[in-house]
Amino acid sequence: MKNQKLKKFFTLILEPFAFGLLALIFIIPTITVINLEPITKVLKDWNVLGVSDNSKLSINIIGGTHQIFNREKVQQNEEGIYIYTTTLTKRESDRYSKPVLEILNDRDEEIKLEIYGNTALPTHSNISIIINDQVYILQSSNGDVTTQNVLLLPNQKYIVYLVVESFSNVQFSENFELKIREIE
Amino acid sequence: MSKLLKRALKNSLVPAILMIAGKALGIFLVSAKYGFPLELGNDINGFFSTQIYFEDSQVTQFVNSMSDLIMLIVIAVPTLYQIVKTFLFQSSLSNPKTIVKIVKFNMIQWITRDDTTFLQIFVWCAFLWLCTGLIIKNSLEGDTYTWIAYISGSLSLLSGLGALKTFEIEISRVYPDSKKYY
Repeated sequence: MKNQKLKKFFTLILEPFAFGLLALIFIIPTITVINLEPITKVLKDWNVLGVSDNSKLSINIIGGTHQIFNREKVQQNEEGIYIYTTTLTKRESDRYSKPVLEILNDRDEEIKLEIYGNTALPTHSNISIIINDQVYILQSSNGDVTTQNVLLLPNQKYIVYLVVESFSNVQFSENFELKIREIE
Repeated sequence: MSKLLKRALKNSLVPAILMIAGKALGIFLVSAKYGFPLELGNDINGFFSTQIYFEDSQVTQFVNSMSDLIMLIVIAVPTLYQIVKTFLFQSSLSNPKTIVKIVKFNMIQWITRDDTTFLQIFVWCAFLWLCTGLIIKNSLEGDTYTWIAYISGSLSLLSGLGALKTFEIEISRVYPDSKKYY
Protein backbone atom coordinates (compact mmCIF):
# COMPACT_ATOMS: atom_id res chain seq x y z
CA MET A 1 0.00 0.00 0.00
CA LYS A 2 2.77 2.37 1.08
CA ASN A 3 4.89 1.30 -1.90
CA GLN A 4 2.05 2.00 -4.29
CA LYS A 5 1.56 5.48 -2.84
CA LEU A 6 5.29 6.16 -3.14
CA LYS A 7 5.27 4.94 -6.76
CA LYS A 8 2.28 7.14 -7.57
CA PHE A 9 4.00 10.13 -5.96
CA PHE A 10 7.20 9.64 -7.98
CA THR A 11 5.20 9.12 -11.16
CA LEU A 12 3.46 12.42 -10.50
CA ILE A 13 6.82 14.18 -10.07
CA LEU A 14 8.52 12.44 -13.01
CA GLU A 15 5.81 13.07 -15.58
CA PRO A 16 6.48 16.82 -16.12
CA PHE A 17 10.20 16.07 -16.48
CA ALA A 18 9.39 13.39 -19.05
CA PHE A 19 7.34 15.93 -21.00
CA GLY A 20 10.28 18.34 -20.86
CA LEU A 21 12.60 15.58 -22.04
CA LEU A 22 10.27 14.78 -24.94
CA ALA A 23 10.23 18.45 -25.94
CA LEU A 24 14.05 18.53 -25.72
CA ILE A 25 14.32 15.49 -28.01
CA PHE A 26 12.61 17.61 -30.66
CA ILE A 27 14.33 20.93 -29.86
CA ILE A 28 17.96 19.73 -29.60
CA PRO A 29 18.17 18.16 -33.11
CA THR A 30 16.53 21.27 -34.60
CA ILE A 31 19.04 23.65 -32.98
CA THR A 32 21.94 21.31 -33.80
CA VAL A 33 20.96 21.10 -37.47
CA ILE A 34 20.63 24.92 -37.63
CA ASN A 35 24.07 25.22 -36.07
CA LEU A 36 25.56 22.67 -38.47
CA GLU A 37 24.69 24.81 -41.49
CA PRO A 38 28.01 25.74 -43.11
CA ILE A 39 29.15 29.36 -43.38
CA THR A 40 31.27 31.00 -46.09
CA LYS A 41 34.55 32.36 -44.78
CA VAL A 42 38.06 32.81 -46.16
CA LEU A 43 40.02 29.85 -44.81
CA LYS A 44 43.50 30.14 -43.38
CA ASP A 45 46.11 28.89 -45.83
CA TRP A 46 48.76 27.05 -43.84
CA ASN A 47 51.93 25.57 -45.36
CA VAL A 48 53.72 22.45 -44.07
CA LEU A 49 55.45 24.38 -41.30
CA GLY A 50 52.13 25.72 -40.07
CA VAL A 51 52.88 29.22 -41.28
CA SER A 52 50.46 31.21 -43.38
CA ASP A 53 52.22 32.60 -46.44
CA ASN A 54 49.39 34.07 -48.49
CA SER A 55 49.31 37.81 -48.67
CA LYS A 56 45.91 39.08 -49.63
CA LEU A 57 42.90 41.07 -48.59
CA SER A 58 40.28 39.06 -46.74
CA ILE A 59 36.86 40.18 -45.58
CA ASN A 60 35.01 37.94 -43.16
CA ILE A 61 31.68 38.18 -41.44
CA ILE A 62 31.73 38.53 -37.67
CA GLY A 63 28.26 37.07 -37.16
CA GLY A 64 26.49 36.74 -33.83
CA THR A 65 22.90 37.57 -33.03
CA HIS A 66 21.34 41.02 -32.99
CA GLN A 67 17.78 42.25 -32.61
CA ILE A 68 17.96 44.62 -35.62
CA PHE A 69 20.65 43.15 -37.92
CA ASN A 70 19.44 39.75 -39.14
CA ARG A 71 20.39 37.20 -41.81
CA GLU A 72 23.89 38.57 -42.40
CA LYS A 73 25.83 37.21 -45.33
CA VAL A 74 29.03 38.13 -47.15
CA GLN A 75 30.14 36.82 -50.51
CA GLN A 76 32.53 37.77 -53.29
CA ASN A 77 31.21 38.03 -56.84
CA GLU A 78 33.03 37.25 -60.11
CA GLU A 79 34.35 40.82 -60.33
CA GLY A 80 36.01 40.45 -56.92
CA ILE A 81 33.55 42.79 -55.17
CA TYR A 82 32.64 41.76 -51.65
CA ILE A 83 28.90 42.06 -51.04
CA TYR A 84 27.61 42.14 -47.47
CA THR A 85 23.85 41.84 -47.04
CA THR A 86 21.65 42.03 -43.97
CA THR A 87 17.99 42.50 -43.13
CA LEU A 88 17.27 45.47 -40.92
CA THR A 89 14.17 44.57 -38.94
CA LYS A 90 11.43 46.99 -37.90
CA ARG A 91 12.63 49.21 -35.09
CA GLU A 92 11.89 52.12 -32.81
CA SER A 93 13.61 55.46 -33.38
CA ASP A 94 17.09 55.04 -31.94
CA ARG A 95 20.72 54.43 -32.87
CA TYR A 96 21.78 50.80 -33.40
CA SER A 97 25.23 49.46 -34.15
CA LYS A 98 26.93 46.09 -34.54
CA PRO A 99 30.38 44.86 -35.56
CA VAL A 100 29.67 43.21 -38.91
CA LEU A 101 32.90 42.64 -40.83
CA GLU A 102 36.54 41.91 -40.17
CA ILE A 103 38.88 43.22 -42.87
CA LEU A 104 42.40 41.90 -42.93
CA ASN A 105 45.13 43.43 -45.08
CA ASP A 106 47.81 40.70 -45.16
CA ARG A 107 49.88 42.52 -47.78
CA ASP A 108 53.01 44.53 -47.18
CA GLU A 109 51.47 47.50 -48.94
CA GLU A 110 48.47 49.77 -48.39
CA ILE A 111 45.12 48.83 -49.87
CA LYS A 112 42.51 51.36 -50.92
CA LEU A 113 38.89 50.28 -50.72
CA GLU A 114 35.79 51.81 -52.23
CA ILE A 115 32.77 51.23 -49.99
CA TYR A 116 29.17 52.01 -50.80
CA GLY A 117 25.93 50.70 -49.38
CA ASN A 118 22.25 51.42 -49.31
CA THR A 119 18.79 50.02 -48.63
CA ALA A 120 16.38 49.26 -51.47
CA LEU A 121 13.94 51.91 -50.19
CA PRO A 122 14.81 55.10 -48.28
CA THR A 123 13.46 54.80 -44.72
CA HIS A 124 14.56 58.14 -43.24
CA SER A 125 17.45 56.42 -41.49
CA ASN A 126 21.08 57.43 -41.46
CA ILE A 127 23.28 54.45 -42.28
CA SER A 128 27.02 54.62 -41.72
CA ILE A 129 30.03 52.46 -40.92
CA ILE A 130 32.71 53.01 -38.31
CA ILE A 131 36.28 51.86 -38.92
CA ASN A 132 38.92 52.72 -36.30
CA ASP A 133 36.61 55.32 -34.68
CA GLN A 134 36.22 57.08 -38.04
CA VAL A 135 32.60 57.47 -39.22
CA TYR A 136 31.84 57.00 -42.94
CA ILE A 137 28.28 57.97 -43.93
CA LEU A 138 26.80 55.64 -46.56
CA GLN A 139 23.18 56.69 -46.78
CA SER A 140 21.60 59.85 -45.37
CA SER A 141 18.04 60.11 -44.10
CA ASN A 142 16.81 61.57 -47.42
CA GLY A 143 18.16 58.52 -49.29
CA ASP A 144 21.35 60.06 -50.74
CA VAL A 145 24.11 57.46 -51.10
CA THR A 146 27.76 58.41 -50.65
CA THR A 147 30.69 56.33 -51.84
CA GLN A 148 33.52 56.24 -49.32
CA ASN A 149 37.22 55.48 -49.81
CA VAL A 150 39.11 53.79 -46.99
CA LEU A 151 42.85 53.27 -46.79
CA LEU A 152 44.05 50.08 -45.09
CA LEU A 153 47.56 50.04 -43.67
CA PRO A 154 49.77 46.99 -44.38
CA ASN A 155 49.36 43.94 -42.14
CA GLN A 156 46.50 45.47 -40.21
CA LYS A 157 43.14 44.07 -39.09
CA TYR A 158 40.06 46.32 -39.05
CA ILE A 159 36.64 45.79 -37.51
CA VAL A 160 33.77 47.41 -39.42
CA TYR A 161 30.74 48.54 -37.38
CA LEU A 162 27.44 49.12 -39.13
CA VAL A 163 25.39 51.95 -37.61
CA VAL A 164 21.73 52.65 -38.27
CA GLU A 165 20.11 55.76 -36.83
CA SER A 166 16.36 56.19 -37.24
CA PHE A 167 14.57 59.38 -36.27
CA SER A 168 11.11 57.84 -36.43
CA ASN A 169 9.81 54.30 -35.85
CA VAL A 170 10.34 51.99 -38.84
CA GLN A 171 7.43 49.55 -39.15
CA PHE A 172 8.83 47.14 -41.77
CA SER A 173 11.99 45.17 -42.49
CA GLU A 174 14.37 46.27 -45.23
CA ASN A 175 17.34 44.74 -46.99
CA PHE A 176 20.66 46.53 -46.78
CA GLU A 177 23.54 45.84 -49.17
CA LEU A 178 27.14 46.96 -48.69
CA LYS A 179 29.63 46.65 -51.54
CA ILE A 180 33.38 46.71 -50.96
CA ARG A 181 35.70 46.98 -53.95
CA GLU A 182 39.47 47.15 -54.01
CA ILE A 183 40.79 50.10 -56.01
CA GLU A 184 43.92 49.30 -58.03
CA MET B 1 4.79 7.81 -16.02
CA SER B 2 2.11 7.05 -18.59
CA LYS B 3 2.69 4.34 -21.19
CA LEU B 4 2.05 6.79 -24.02
CA LEU B 5 4.76 9.16 -22.79
CA LYS B 6 7.24 6.29 -22.35
CA ARG B 7 6.53 5.08 -25.88
CA ALA B 8 6.77 8.60 -27.29
CA LEU B 9 10.18 9.05 -25.64
CA LYS B 10 11.35 5.66 -26.90
CA ASN B 11 10.09 6.26 -30.45
CA SER B 12 11.55 9.75 -30.80
CA LEU B 13 15.15 8.86 -29.92
CA VAL B 14 16.01 7.13 -33.22
CA PRO B 15 14.70 9.88 -35.58
CA ALA B 16 16.37 12.56 -33.41
CA ILE B 17 19.74 10.81 -33.69
CA LEU B 18 19.24 10.11 -37.40
CA MET B 19 18.36 13.77 -38.09
CA ILE B 20 21.61 15.04 -36.56
CA ALA B 21 23.68 12.18 -38.01
CA GLY B 22 22.18 12.69 -41.50
CA LYS B 23 23.05 16.39 -41.53
CA ALA B 24 26.54 16.01 -40.02
CA LEU B 25 27.52 12.98 -42.10
CA GLY B 26 26.05 14.68 -45.18
CA ILE B 27 28.36 17.67 -44.74
CA PHE B 28 31.49 15.59 -44.12
CA LEU B 29 30.76 12.96 -46.80
CA VAL B 30 29.96 15.52 -49.52
CA SER B 31 33.04 17.62 -48.70
CA ALA B 32 35.22 14.48 -48.60
CA LYS B 33 33.81 13.15 -51.89
CA TYR B 34 34.31 16.41 -53.79
CA GLY B 35 37.46 17.43 -51.92
CA PHE B 36 36.15 20.73 -50.58
CA PRO B 37 38.42 22.16 -47.87
CA LEU B 38 36.51 22.90 -44.69
CA GLU B 39 37.44 24.46 -41.38
CA LEU B 40 35.90 24.19 -37.94
CA GLY B 41 35.69 27.48 -36.07
CA ASN B 42 34.82 28.61 -32.60
CA ASP B 43 33.18 32.00 -33.18
CA ILE B 44 30.23 32.94 -31.04
CA ASN B 45 27.36 32.77 -33.50
CA GLY B 46 23.86 31.71 -32.45
CA PHE B 47 23.26 29.07 -29.82
CA PHE B 48 26.51 27.14 -30.24
CA SER B 49 30.10 28.26 -30.63
CA THR B 50 31.25 25.78 -33.27
CA GLN B 51 30.85 26.48 -36.97
CA ILE B 52 31.76 24.75 -40.22
CA TYR B 53 33.36 27.08 -42.78
CA PHE B 54 33.80 26.75 -46.52
CA GLU B 55 35.74 29.22 -48.63
CA ASP B 56 33.37 29.65 -51.55
CA SER B 57 29.70 30.64 -51.26
CA GLN B 58 28.67 28.26 -54.08
CA VAL B 59 30.43 25.37 -52.33
CA THR B 60 28.67 26.31 -49.08
CA GLN B 61 25.30 26.27 -50.83
CA PHE B 62 26.04 22.94 -52.56
CA VAL B 63 27.22 21.22 -49.36
CA ASN B 64 24.31 22.63 -47.36
CA SER B 65 21.83 21.51 -50.03
CA MET B 66 23.23 17.99 -50.30
CA SER B 67 23.41 17.55 -46.52
CA ASP B 68 19.80 18.78 -46.26
CA LEU B 69 18.83 16.25 -48.94
CA ILE B 70 20.62 13.42 -47.10
CA MET B 71 18.93 14.42 -43.81
CA LEU B 72 15.57 14.46 -45.61
CA ILE B 73 16.12 11.00 -47.17
CA VAL B 74 17.25 9.53 -43.82
CA ILE B 75 14.01 10.69 -42.16
CA ALA B 76 11.55 10.42 -45.07
CA VAL B 77 12.34 6.86 -46.23
CA PRO B 78 11.56 5.13 -42.88
CA THR B 79 8.49 7.35 -42.38
CA LEU B 80 7.02 6.50 -45.77
CA TYR B 81 7.96 2.81 -45.33
CA GLN B 82 6.07 2.68 -42.01
CA ILE B 83 3.03 4.39 -43.51
CA VAL B 84 2.93 2.13 -46.58
CA LYS B 85 3.52 -0.98 -44.47
CA THR B 86 0.70 -0.16 -42.04
CA PHE B 87 -1.63 0.81 -44.86
CA LEU B 88 -0.96 -2.39 -46.81
CA PHE B 89 -1.20 -4.59 -43.71
CA GLN B 90 -4.56 -3.17 -42.69
CA SER B 91 -5.83 -3.16 -46.25
CA SER B 92 -4.83 -6.82 -46.74
CA LEU B 93 -6.92 -7.81 -43.71
CA SER B 94 -10.11 -6.53 -45.28
CA ASN B 95 -9.38 -6.83 -48.97
CA PRO B 96 -8.11 -10.11 -50.55
CA LYS B 97 -7.19 -8.24 -53.74
CA THR B 98 -4.46 -6.41 -51.81
CA ILE B 99 -2.92 -9.73 -50.70
CA VAL B 100 -2.87 -10.91 -54.32
CA LYS B 101 -1.16 -7.67 -55.41
CA ILE B 102 1.36 -7.87 -52.56
CA VAL B 103 2.26 -11.45 -53.49
CA LYS B 104 2.46 -10.49 -57.15
CA PHE B 105 4.98 -7.74 -56.40
CA ASN B 106 6.88 -10.06 -54.00
CA MET B 107 6.41 -7.71 -51.05
CA ILE B 108 4.93 -10.18 -48.59
CA GLN B 109 8.01 -10.26 -46.32
CA TRP B 110 7.82 -6.48 -45.94
CA ILE B 111 4.45 -6.50 -44.22
CA THR B 112 4.26 -9.75 -42.28
CA ARG B 113 4.22 -8.06 -38.84
CA ASP B 114 1.98 -5.29 -37.54
CA ASP B 115 4.59 -3.73 -35.24
CA THR B 116 4.10 -0.12 -36.33
CA THR B 117 1.80 2.03 -34.26
CA PHE B 118 0.18 5.34 -35.10
CA LEU B 119 2.31 7.02 -32.40
CA GLN B 120 5.50 5.80 -34.10
CA ILE B 121 4.31 7.13 -37.47
CA PHE B 122 3.27 10.43 -35.92
CA VAL B 123 6.66 10.91 -34.22
CA TRP B 124 8.54 10.19 -37.47
CA CYS B 125 6.18 12.53 -39.34
CA ALA B 126 6.84 15.26 -36.76
CA PHE B 127 10.58 14.93 -37.42
CA LEU B 128 9.96 15.00 -41.17
CA TRP B 129 7.95 18.22 -40.75
CA LEU B 130 10.80 19.68 -38.66
CA CYS B 131 13.29 18.81 -41.42
CA THR B 132 10.98 20.34 -44.02
CA GLY B 133 10.64 23.53 -41.98
CA LEU B 134 14.42 23.85 -41.75
CA ILE B 135 14.92 23.12 -45.46
CA ILE B 136 12.26 25.67 -46.49
CA LYS B 137 13.84 28.26 -44.17
CA ASN B 138 17.26 27.57 -45.73
CA SER B 139 15.78 27.78 -49.21
CA LEU B 140 14.13 31.15 -48.50
CA GLU B 141 17.46 32.45 -47.22
CA GLY B 142 19.18 31.20 -50.38
CA ASP B 143 21.31 28.63 -48.54
CA THR B 144 19.66 25.56 -50.13
CA TYR B 145 18.48 24.80 -53.66
CA THR B 146 14.76 25.47 -54.14
CA TRP B 147 14.04 22.04 -55.70
CA ILE B 148 15.04 20.36 -52.42
CA ALA B 149 12.48 22.53 -50.61
CA TYR B 150 9.82 21.47 -53.14
CA ILE B 151 10.70 17.78 -52.67
CA SER B 152 10.64 18.08 -48.88
CA GLY B 153 7.32 19.94 -48.96
CA SER B 154 5.76 17.26 -51.19
CA LEU B 155 7.09 14.43 -48.99
CA SER B 156 5.77 16.16 -45.87
CA LEU B 157 2.35 16.59 -47.43
CA LEU B 158 2.31 12.94 -48.54
CA SER B 159 3.41 11.68 -45.13
CA GLY B 160 0.85 13.92 -43.42
CA LEU B 161 -1.94 12.43 -45.55
CA GLY B 162 -0.52 8.95 -44.91
CA ALA B 163 -0.45 9.57 -41.16
CA LEU B 164 -4.07 10.76 -41.31
CA LYS B 165 -5.06 7.59 -43.17
CA THR B 166 -3.24 5.46 -40.58
CA PHE B 167 -5.04 7.35 -37.83
CA GLU B 168 -8.37 6.54 -39.50
CA ILE B 169 -7.41 2.85 -39.70
CA GLU B 170 -6.32 2.85 -36.05
CA ILE B 171 -9.54 4.58 -34.97
CA SER B 172 -11.69 2.13 -36.95
CA ARG B 173 -9.92 -0.70 -35.13
CA VAL B 174 -10.81 0.80 -31.74
CA TYR B 175 -14.30 1.92 -32.74
CA PRO B 176 -15.38 -0.40 -35.60
CA ASP B 177 -18.02 0.74 -38.02
CA SER B 178 -21.35 -0.37 -36.47
CA LYS B 179 -22.87 -1.17 -39.89
CA LYS B 180 -20.30 -3.91 -40.37
CA TYR B 181 -21.44 -5.93 -37.38
CA TYR B 182 -25.08 -5.10 -36.78
